[in-house]
Amino acid sequence: MKTRSLALLFVFGLVVIAGGLLLPQWMSYLFTIAMGKGLVVLGLVLLMRAGLVSFGQGLYYCVGAYVAGMLTQFVGVTDILVIMLASVAVSVAIAAIIGLLLCRYREIFFAMFSMAFSMILYGLLVRNQFLGSTDGFNVANPSLLGWTPGAEASSDLVLIVAVFLVIVLGAVAWRYLKSLSGYAGEAVRENEIRLEYLGGSVFRVVYVKYIIAAGLAAIGGTITALVSGHVDPEMAYWTTSGEFVFIALMGGTAHVAAPIVAAVLFEALRTYAFAVSPYTWQMILGFALLAIILFMPSGLWSLVERFQNKKARKTS
Amino acid sequence: MLELKNVTTEIAGTTILRDVSFSVSKGSMVGLIGRNGAGKTTSLRSIMGLIKPKAGQVLINGEDMTNQGSYERAGMSIGYMPEDRRLVPDLTVEENIMAPAWACQLGNAEARLAWIYEMMPEVESFSDRRALQLSGGQQKLVALARAMMTGTNLLLLDEPFEGVAPALSRRLASVLSTLKDEGLTVLLSESDQSHSADLVDKAFQIERGSVEPIASLT
Repeated sequence: MKTRSLALLFVFGLVVIAGGLLLPQWMSYLFTIAMGKGLVVLGLVLLMRAGLVSFGQGLYYCVGAYVAGMLTQFVGVTDILVIMLASVAVSVAIAAIIGLLLCRYREIFFAMFSMAFSMILYGLLVRNQFLGSTDGFNVANPSLLGWTPGAEASSDLVLIVAVFLVIVLGAVAWRYLKSLSGYAGEAVRENEIRLEYLGGSVFRVVYVKYIIAAGLAAIGGTITALVSGHVDPEMAYWTTSGEFVFIALMGGTAHVAAPIVAAVLFEALRTYAFAVSPYTWQMILGFALLAIILFMPSGLWSLVERFQNKKARKTS
Repeated sequence: MLELKNVTTEIAGTTILRDVSFSVSKGSMVGLIGRNGAGKTTSLRSIMGLIKPKAGQVLINGEDMTNQGSYERAGMSIGYMPEDRRLVPDLTVEENIMAPAWACQLGNAEARLAWIYEMMPEVESFSDRRALQLSGGQQKLVALARAMMTGTNLLLLDEPFEGVAPALSRRLASVLSTLKDEGLTVLLSESDQSHSADLVDKAFQIERGSVEPIASLT
């Protein structure tokens, strides 16, 4: 990435943070949640580019959230950076073990197995009285390097950290997708056998992507836990994972920005759908997804690509 | 160099290779001749580790590769040209040839590419074209070039002359002849000996999954 692009990205990040802080509390809350979910979906998109659809990212989303909750409530650690690192470390450790089994499967088997593991976590949490069973438990406000903000400022702190992480991790993911390892994902999707005899380990490619996706999901879960101040087992339920797939399909897999934009649109759409029609809001979401699949099968990002192609044709 | 010891391979419960044993010595060109369905492709795939044999051993340079991944063969400088070419259609010819060099992180890729172009100047002439723009015969040449990128130790060529126009077949044969002169170890499969008879040092007949040496070529 060129220095100019990095500078533009930095300025864009500052504008988004400033905009986010100026928004009413309920909107900045939704925006922060969208940033968290966007990161989860970014990880999912990495897997989807390799031809794998995970219906179990809720597992790592929930693990990240519960690690954040447990650290703040039971250990007394509130530093957001320590919490992030711990969430990622625990999720990656779990993914490193589960991935050894899961990364041998493809297509529906991968999707169902990934969902099965997240449902196992859901079952364990629901039965655990200490962790609040189905109610979950509250998460204390975070701090940053010794600074403990007040109740309102703490959600601003999470927003700033969330936008910072989205920008940094998005840029890293962009570089990754342009690297040999990034392209290897598409090679897996196109033809695994070809990749193998050309010298690439298919298992290694998928395993690395699975672990990266788990880390990103953990960060997303941590952001959600810290901004909402609460965690519950629903975060590991299959509908939560389905929501991530929904957002990924909405945005498409063509660019790292697609899942982030789609997550913001999804949260906005859901909020307004609920306001307009409290009992049938899911139907509005369903029609929206149906329309996207019918008219933009490659997701909303295909609009950007169409615009770019049009511009390129005009230039030539 | 390459040795198969009592290899038995099954696909979906059907035995394709039955107790196959043969060897290819260093610097030699060996043919594996058999009709369609005899087990030629399965033999090469078993050697490449793309199908795991049910029994037996595949030894390369004395090392048992039976349980090693296919990608590790490419790392051991073994090139494979599949029967159906399998080029990446959207990549250029040169990118297709370079793909194994990127995957194996070869240090001498540029020198290797120059050697390939020297061997096949026609490939260089269409190196910037996308693979999907090539004819079937041209794709065969590119698939051979791609296999040559890593195949400094051993080249496995699955029916290189199949579906290729006579002029291109002769060209392929001439490239293989040069490879032989350069001392490369090659195992190639063919449905009959029409193209390979003058090239190979040794040949094996494969019939219903069983391999026997062809007396006239051993």
